[in-house]
Amino acid sequence: MLLTLLFVSLLVFVVVRVLPGDPALIMLGIEASPDAVARMREALGLDRPVPVQYAEWASRAVLGDLGRSIQYDVPVAGLIASRLSVTLPLTIMAAALMVMAAIPLGVFAATRHRRWGDYAAMTLSQLGIAVPGFWAGLLLILLFSVKLGWFQAGGFDGWGQGVGRALKSLLLPAIALGLFQFAVLARTTRSALLEVLREEYVKTARAKGVAERAVIFRHALKNAMIPILTVAGVQLGQLMAGSIILESVFYLPGLGRLALGAISARDLPVVQGVVLSVASAIVVINAAVDILYGMLDPRIRYE
Amino acid sequence: MRMLRDLGLALLALLLGAAPAAAQGALTVQVSTEPPGLDLTTNPSSTIAGVIFYNVQEALVKVDRHGKLVPWLAERWYTTDSKNYTFFLRRGIRFHNGREMKAADVKFALDRAVNPETKHPYRVQYENIQDVIVKDDYTISVTLKRVQANFLWTVARQGSVIYPREAVGTLKTQPMGTGPFTVADWVRGDRIVLVKNKDYWQKGLPRLDKVTYRFIPDPNSAVAALKSGDIDVSAFGLGPESVDELKKDGRFQVILGDTTNDVTLSMNNSKKPYSDKRVRLAITHAINKEEVLKGSMFGHGKILGSNVDPLNPYYADVSRRVPYDPAKAKKLLADAGYPNGFEATFKVAPQYYYTVRSAEVVINQLAKVGIRAKIQQIEWGQWLAQVFCLKPCENPDYDMSIIGHAEAWDVGNFANPKYYFRWDNADFQKLFRESEVTVDDKKRWELYVRMQQMLADEAPAVWLYMHPRLVVTKKGVAGIWKDLPVPSLDLSEVGWQK
Repeated sequence: MLLTLLFVSLLVFVVVRVLPGDPALIMLGIEASPDAVARMREALGLDRPVPVQYAEWASRAVLGDLGRSIQYDVPVAGLIASRLSVTLPLTIMAAALMVMAAIPLGVFAATRHRRWGDYAAMTLSQLGIAVPGFWAGLLLILLFSVKLGWFQAGGFDGWGQGVGRALKSLLLPAIALGLFQFAVLARTTRSALLEVLREEYVKTARAKGVAERAVIFRHALKNAMIPILTVAGVQLGQLMAGSIILESVFYLPGLGRLALGAISARDLPVVQGVVLSVASAIVVINAAVDILYGMLDPRIRYE
Repeated sequence: MRMLRDLGLALLALLLGAAPAAAQGALTVQVSTEPPGLDLTTNPSSTIAGVIFYNVQEALVKVDRHGKLVPWLAERWYTTDSKNYTFFLRRGIRFHNGREMKAADVKFALDRAVNPETKHPYRVQYENIQDVIVKDDYTISVTLKRVQANFLWTVARQGSVIYPREAVGTLKTQPMGTGPFTVADWVRGDRIVLVKNKDYWQKGLPRLDKVTYRFIPDPNSAVAALKSGDIDVSAFGLGPESVDELKKDGRFQVILGDTTNDVTLSMNNSKKPYSDKRVRLAITHAINKEEVLKGSMFGHGKILGSNVDPLNPYYADVSRRVPYDPAKAKKLLADAGYPNGFEATFKVAPQYYYTVRSAEVVINQLAKVGIRAKIQQIEWGQWLAQVFCLKPCENPDYDMSIIGHAEAWDVGNFANPKYYFRWDNADFQKLFRESEVTVDDKKRWELYVRMQQMLADEAPAVWLYMHPRLVVTKKGVAGIWKDLPVPSLDLSEVGWQK
């Protein structure tokens, strides 16, 4: 796990320095003199050899000090934390909406296999896959903000202004964000359930006279959860990544936009910090999913 | 079941909760780019000026909304030889920390600008200052090494703001000055909040109690935010495609004005075929600037003939000096040895979308005279590295490019042979140097006319158009400048009309 993080940090460090584009020049703009740019490079420590820069950065990163942002002149760790307070709730909200909508739809489709209910549900999920997230976002804004005026067109005023208001700002983006993954998960649920419903023990349960409800929820779905959970775990990571585009559409001050802005401005400490944080998060999510497997399937318990 | 219903209702109530009503003393302004820090004395970015200049910090001399130099922190000044200036400061002006502004503060600010350790971005303008002498608490004199015709403009620019020396350390994050507002909060990536300075020296101003700048980079999101009422003013970054539609909407007013932003098609004069004047003139003749304006800016803006814009007092209209004439273009190309044209690549950065749109129109026009050009969209950082080429880059790597040059008095870029155009013309450089030290207004005007004519005739670049000032506000917002003679967003006189 630590090896992964080390490798990732090394990779991103080298890549951003190899990219053309001078952070000092980008910061100062085209009206600046060459002198000013040279002095800025010096001040940012960019004129030292790359291995030295890496060693310095890595030795502080393990202690939690991710350096200072070049653009904002604030500690990177604090910056990431404040952005996570937007992106994390957004991702969780999107994941919750996705699961709450996808699993019932998948179950509905599987239990009405090859009948109109199944076809209707699958058409709906097809729409979810076909519609790009940013377009869905713009459509939601046009309808609910511009036309109906029920929601703000975007922006996030912070948790300090009230939990209700904050959640409201995240609702439309969460819907747009979760749309694609909802469709994928609905299909996954449907096919996983169909697989399980073909198993021998389901036939046995039905033969025993167990109520259909219990067959589906108590026996079949529980066993179908493993592939569903695998996909959902991967999707959590994809939701975090997909938030970049929607954060731009809804101008939310989230992690994705921070990363995008930092790359354009060559704000190297921030780019490194964000990549390291996201990589760590994904490693943790994978570990959590593995543990959940163990809870669900007694056959896969680790010692 | 009942609990679920109650939970649902509670959630619904939470979600549909009303947003607080907008106070009449508050304004929300959209800008597209967040400033890289708030320090006007170490970073020349116009995004900083849009927030801080005129609002939080002020200078001795002001450029007003008509482009005229008027008194500001200095109530008057005089000079007899344009080398020694004496400024008389207003009395009773307080910095935001309560201390009165005195001549010593002005000396500190100017000395700091001159000092190479400070990394002042425009130090070349200030290095002409020989001495700053405090005569008394409200009188200060500045002696220059050489006559500098534009010295008062230097004193009026964003890098010359006056601040208390004790606040030097926080200029980047919490700049302090004498302006009508103070910085209350900066939520990185989201917004900057300014609040009224109750002790502002101009009585009755500002008219607003609070201003919130929101950073919304996407023009579609900006329009959506405007239409849904989340923002009151869209100041920078609105696309021209929205203008006509918003003009028809009775809820908004559209302000279309002039700026100093010259959208310039640059050619790499250091490489063939652009080193040949005939080729450059051919390219100029091949371009129909009106069509470019219509295609990329929906007709808003003004076509240009040189690097001096209509807001400059010495502007002369040379836009027809090298007129649209594709036949002549073909002939010039043949004369230069390219009867079948040649291939070329435009490097443009989509971050400034008007440059991509302009390039699309231009390559069509160039194709008609045999120049087969294609567009290569590159990221801004790469554009700066390859096209703009500051040290350690030795040679700019591009054929042609398009970008807007927003500085007010920047004709001097063409007198700099190392600037990315790489045009080295001794006659022009001589004219420019002369214009810098000529104080007599009429003589200076003549020099500027000759420079503009020479630029048009030698065609080191093609000046396409002046980017228009595009501001859209809710009806009722009054006081915003129509034209933009300096990068800024002066909110001191802006308020809601009753």
